[in-house]
Amino acid sequence: MAGIEKASAARSGAHTVIGSSIVIDGEISGDEDLVIQGTVKGRISLKESLFVEASGVIEADIETANVEVSGNVTGNIAASDRVELKADCKVVGDIRAPRILIADGAVFKGNVDMDVKEAKGK
Amino acid sequence: MATTEGTTIIGESILISGSLAGDEDLTVRGRVEGTLTLTRTLVVEPTGQVKAEVQVKNCIIAGVVVGNVTATESVEITKEGRMVGDIAAPRVIIVDGASFRGRIDMGEVDVGGDRRPAVQARQAGPARPAARPAMMARPAPRLAASAAKVEEKPASVAAPRPMVPPAPVAMGAVKRKVLVKTKR
Repeated sequence: MAGIEKASAARSGAHTVIGSSIVIDGEISGDEDLVIQGTVKGRISLKESLFVEASGVIEADIETANVEVSGNVTGNIAASDRVELKADCKVVGDIRAPRILIADGAVFKGNVDMDVKEAKGK
Repeated sequence: MATTEGTTIIGESILISGSLAGDEDLTVRGRVEGTLTLTRTLVVEPTGQVKAEVQVKNCIIAGVVVGNVTATESVEITKEGRMVGDIAAPRVIIVDGASFRGRIDMGEVDVGGDRRPAVQARQAGPARPAARPAMMARPAPRLAASAAKVEEKPASVAAPRPMVPPAPVAMGAVKRKVLVKTKR
């Protein structure tokens, strides 16, 4: 737990934090790391990393480089680099990324596609 | 690390379009478009751009805001702030250097009845050559004058418009009213 808090504190140095009481309905796009502790519905597209913390609830399609999920995500995830589902996260939707990590305790329902590069080649 | 618990920050490169609602402070360094509803304070930093209907408790504008702002407590436009839109708030602070175009409504004026007509006249927008709601040509600098000693400074950012020469009678009324509201 202390480790999680530490990681969380380190991340709060990130430029953008969506706090736990915030609800966003719409589209988020940007070129920087995004930490979500609140609720986002719609679409998220980033060129950097997305962190969905334990209190975070996402009902959106996600398109980023990295995704780290500790909270709830409903929607499709497409990452150009990596998707990590941490313990205690809940994810429903399809994941497409060259590297996908699913930790013990994570709940996931959906398809996984790691053939991203091949798909690009086609 | 300026981030504290209960604060949301929208970073410089981030664009949020849609609706955003919450119960915590929000700092905008990037862009927000759509509607923005908070029960606490919105801070638009110099790099921030908000094009939205804004409903908050307090609003501090150091960046760009286009849209109407309704605040239950106060709206402050700092010297770097630029805003186009209407403000509805019991306390409105516009400092020297700020640019603003739009209307201001400070709500019911519950003091002497003789001031009320002046306020209403101002809101109703007496027929003036300026075809747009350039009401703030007058009140803005007056408000600033009561907050800090300043001199009138034409808005550098707002769209070109004829600066309406101040009407002395209305001005006096506005200034008195602002002082009263500030005390309250």
